[in-house]
Amino acid sequence: MLVNFKSFCIFVAFLFTFLLFIAIASLFFVPNPKDILSSLQTEEMLYSLKLSIVTSAISTIIVLALAIPIGYSLARFSFPGKSIVKSILDLPIAFPELVLGLCLLMLFGQTFVGKSLEAVGIKIVFTKLGIIVAQIFTALPYATRILCSTFESIIPRFELVSRSLGYSEFETFKNVTIPLARGGIFASTIITFARCMGAFGAVLILAGGSYMNTETLPITLYLNISYGNMGMAITSGIVLIVISFLAILVFEKVEGGRL
Amino acid sequence: MILEIENLSVDLGEFKLNDVSLKVNRRDYVTIIGPTGSGKSILLETIAGFYKPLKGRILLEGRDITGLPPEKRCVSIVYQDYALFPHMNVFENIAYGLRKKESNASVIKEEVKRIAEILGISHLLHRKPTTLSGGEQQRVAIARALVVKPKLLLMDEPFSALDVKMRESLRKLVRRAVKEYDTTVLHVTHDFDDVFSLANRVVVMKNGKIMQTGRPENVFSKPSNDFVADFVGTNILEGVVIGKENGLTLIRVGEHILYSTDHAEVGERVRVSIRPENVTISNEMRQTKNTFLCSVEDIRRGTNLVWLTLRSGDLRFKVVTTPSSIDTVDVGKNVFASFKAVNVRIVR
Repeated sequence: MLVNFKSFCIFVAFLFTFLLFIAIASLFFVPNPKDILSSLQTEEMLYSLKLSIVTSAISTIIVLALAIPIGYSLARFSFPGKSIVKSILDLPIAFPELVLGLCLLMLFGQTFVGKSLEAVGIKIVFTKLGIIVAQIFTALPYATRILCSTFESIIPRFELVSRSLGYSEFETFKNVTIPLARGGIFASTIITFARCMGAFGAVLILAGGSYMNTETLPITLYLNISYGNMGMAITSGIVLIVISFLAILVFEKVEGGRL
Repeated sequence: MILEIENLSVDLGEFKLNDVSLKVNRRDYVTIIGPTGSGKSILLETIAGFYKPLKGRILLEGRDITGLPPEKRCVSIVYQDYALFPHMNVFENIAYGLRKKESNASVIKEEVKRIAEILGISHLLHRKPTTLSGGEQQRVAIARALVVKPKLLLMDEPFSALDVKMRESLRKLVRRAVKEYDTTVLHVTHDFDDVFSLANRVVVMKNGKIMQTGRPENVFSKPSNDFVADFVGTNILEGVVIGKENGLTLIRVGEHILYSTDHAEVGERVRVSIRPENVTISNEMRQTKNTFLCSVEDIRRGTNLVWLTLRSGDLRFKVVTTPSSIDTVDVGKNVFASFKAVNVRIVR
């Protein structure tokens, strides 16, 4: 019975992996390679690729700058409302990206927050800045989770010893905690970047998804599917997969053996 | 007086300190003993500044440090699990605290070299902590704590993860290093060998309270209450002083008469303590005073020592001895147990 159950579990694992592999491979083998190459060189694709990389890079930096202190505070400190903060931060993981985009549209369009920002010249809705904001809100919960568990795994005694040797809380964080959390920080950087590159629903609603303006790779895929331009849609899909694959490859190469 | 703790109370939920007061002299080596959960480690970590007390004060060299952050206290701590920074090599670990105080690289190098020589780790300076044995890691941790010349060195069960041989060698090194650096030490331990080979004072704790402090030989031979007696393994017997003879006090314990060099008034009800290691056993009667024919009730064998429970009428007591001295002894057999009058201490 035990052997049968074991065989069943392994079979399911192989079956799903096979289906996923076939699905990914079909993206590469079904279309004409010439179409892919020509689509890659179009102005729209180059624009979309550049915009995706630039916005994702900026968003990743901002996400890490926010997720490191948030993750550390959740891992190390006790404060009133900690469980509520943790739950709300995790919410975007659970609900659809489109709903997150709608919430952000309301926040930056209809409330005093958006109006105050617009008053000082910062326009978020239907702008490139909106892409970054949507990516940040989409990726932040993932980065926070990874960093929180990373900080939790570091024995507090390292920090206590550092404090007793004359270093302040911040100096200890910089000299001891951050170097020890390097693996987790690297992992969350890769995951955040990949998540930002693939952010679609929230970006579409908040930034508008307009042609050659707020058009990131997932938006290119979406717009071209709508027009029936399968070559461009498949090409943007392939580019997204290649970027994700490279991210995981780099992660495995740099941190794989260490984690 | 280097450290004065006044009515310190800390509440961490499961662990507490209740109204703890303690005075420590400069250059004292104080061992803190007590059962698990008695508050020994919390006491150290509160002195280090990791916990905020509910009430009470901590004075270091007369200065109130209760509200100071750990980095402002000049108090170093060494843990059982070493807590060496894994991303630094041994040299960087030892130099870590020095770098905060000293910017001159050659001074740092000299100081690291000095402490490394004292603790016998000069050949390990380039190694990463994960490549070292437990004993080597603990020497590095002690070096890192001592090199900054702390006013107080706190050690939380520093030898408990090491084997017996390594503990003995580390005790020698610690004794030397502490002397060289002229440091006052508070050392939490479960090992009575640490108490007798390192400390000039011992503190016994229970349920977040200090039960007794004093010189180790006094605490072990004259425990102030039943808990301390039981914890340190001292035999406590109750009796009445019935007379004096050649400067000795005669105490009736049940049907037996015990002789003590301690003074007490005739008629006084007293408790006497006898350390298990001060009882000798033999198959022949060696002396007349304080010698009793006993039956062996129980024998427990350790690595280097053997614990026996003996009974003579209503007198029941523990004895600790070496395996070679009980070759012919077995449970149910009779032996003579004897102890000197000087080892029969009167506890009131």
